[in-house]
Amino acid sequence: MKIEQTLKNHNITILDTNEIFKCSENDHLLVGMRSLGKKGIPSGCHGGGCGVCKVKIHSDKNNYKTLSMSRAHISKEDEDNGVFLACRVFPLGDIELNVIGKIKRKCINGSKNFVFNY
Amino acid sequence: MGVMKIGHVNLRVLDMAAARNHYENIIGLIVTDEDEAGNLYFKGWDEWDKYSVILSPSDHAGMDHVAYKVETDADLDTFTKSIEAYGIAVEQLPAGVLIDCGRAIRFQLPSGHTMCLFAEKTFVGKSTGDKNPAPWPLDVKGVGAHWLDHCLLVCPLDPENQINTIADNVNFLSKCLGFRLTEQALVGPDEDIQAVAFLTVTNTPHDIAFVPGPTAGFHHASFFLPNWGDILRSADIMAMNKVKIDVTPTRHGITRGETIYFFDPSGNRNETFAGLGYLATPDMPVITWTEEEVPRGIFYHSGELNPAFTEVYT
Ligand code: FES
Ligand SMILES: [Fe+2]
Repeated sequence: MKIEQTLKNHNITILDTNEIFKCSENDHLLVGMRSLGKKGIPSGCHGGGCGVCKVKIHSDKNNYKTLSMSRAHISKEDEDNGVFLACRVFPLGDIELNVIGKIKRKCINGSKNFVFNY
Repeated sequence: MGVMKIGHVNLRVLDMAAARNHYENIIGLIVTDEDEAGNLYFKGWDEWDKYSVILSPSDHAGMDHVAYKVETDADLDTFTKSIEAYGIAVEQLPAGVLIDCGRAIRFQLPSGHTMCLFAEKTFVGKSTGDKNPAPWPLDVKGVGAHWLDHCLLVCPLDPENQINTIADNVNFLSKCLGFRLTEQALVGPDEDIQAVAFLTVTNTPHDIAFVPGPTAGFHHASFFLPNWGDILRSADIMAMNKVKIDVTPTRHGITRGETIYFFDPSGNRNETFAGLGYLATPDMPVITWTEEEVPRGIFYHSGELNPAFTEVYT
């Protein structure tokens, strides 16, 4: 009989909002967050391309692994400082992080309704 | 003479194997070539020319260029003159620089996006052939997208500093390349800021479109499906494959298209788009959406903009 390997869940703490959610080793942080209905990190393309989910991870480098992500948003220096795109981070242990990415919005002067980002 | 249709988009991807699986097995395009630089070429089953999508390995996502096909080789000289007279520099590309294409010209739109024009691309045909063809081939994969339909680009807009590259693009494409404005959104206190624009060179409601953003970028490339049932099936296939869906099936007010938005594995947005909408002939008036109704123009049923849709791009 084949015994299915159980995937470990890890605690992810968003320090900015004090939200904690569990994320499996198989899921990137945004899948873990969204499947539990949490919204602390901005969620966009889930492919490491758009940059809205940028976070600073304070935990040890051994507590996560990453996939390739856009150099337009994450420099080598960012990586050395634990700054990554959350949708390319898979937990291997507990993680504490701060949210850096944000969706910037601005309205045209005198216009109430137009909410495109510029 | 003139611009005939969209030719291809060249997208940058972070992981070639994941991207290939997405465009080949989920969108259902056919791989037609791979070059030494690692670029992959794809066509829809219902396209005659060799490719409509080029994927290039890169360290960042987004669009490298979009190309349109013109009717005759001489059009390239005519357009070179009109584009240069407009004040935009034109680069002449010898045959083969765009692989499997004849000579081409390359220039930047006022928004900063790179556009190419070419007249010839290697013809490979459809598996259904051009004699007594079957309506569709049996061996299509995934969603089975028919063809690349249009692209939508994010263009810098900053009215306080008199920057509106959406309006600049509309002016340039109408004056120099014969595109026709079909629909627009006019916003701001005086309802005079052209913040969204849809243009055509064919008889479909759009072959290219522009929305505003803080920086130039790529919003989506759209692939054609015939009807609403195909859109539902397409969403099912994406969910089965855990593709990140941005917007589940709905209708646009603008163009009347039926749609799903989703992301490729590098975060470039794609759309599957169904329905002709309407016949966009040169005698139609420009359709205008007011500021209050822009959200309904974009998502007709909810009438609400989803922040990720307007603010996430590559
Ligand atoms: S959601 Fe787009 S980079 Fe993470
Ligand atoms: Fe579209």
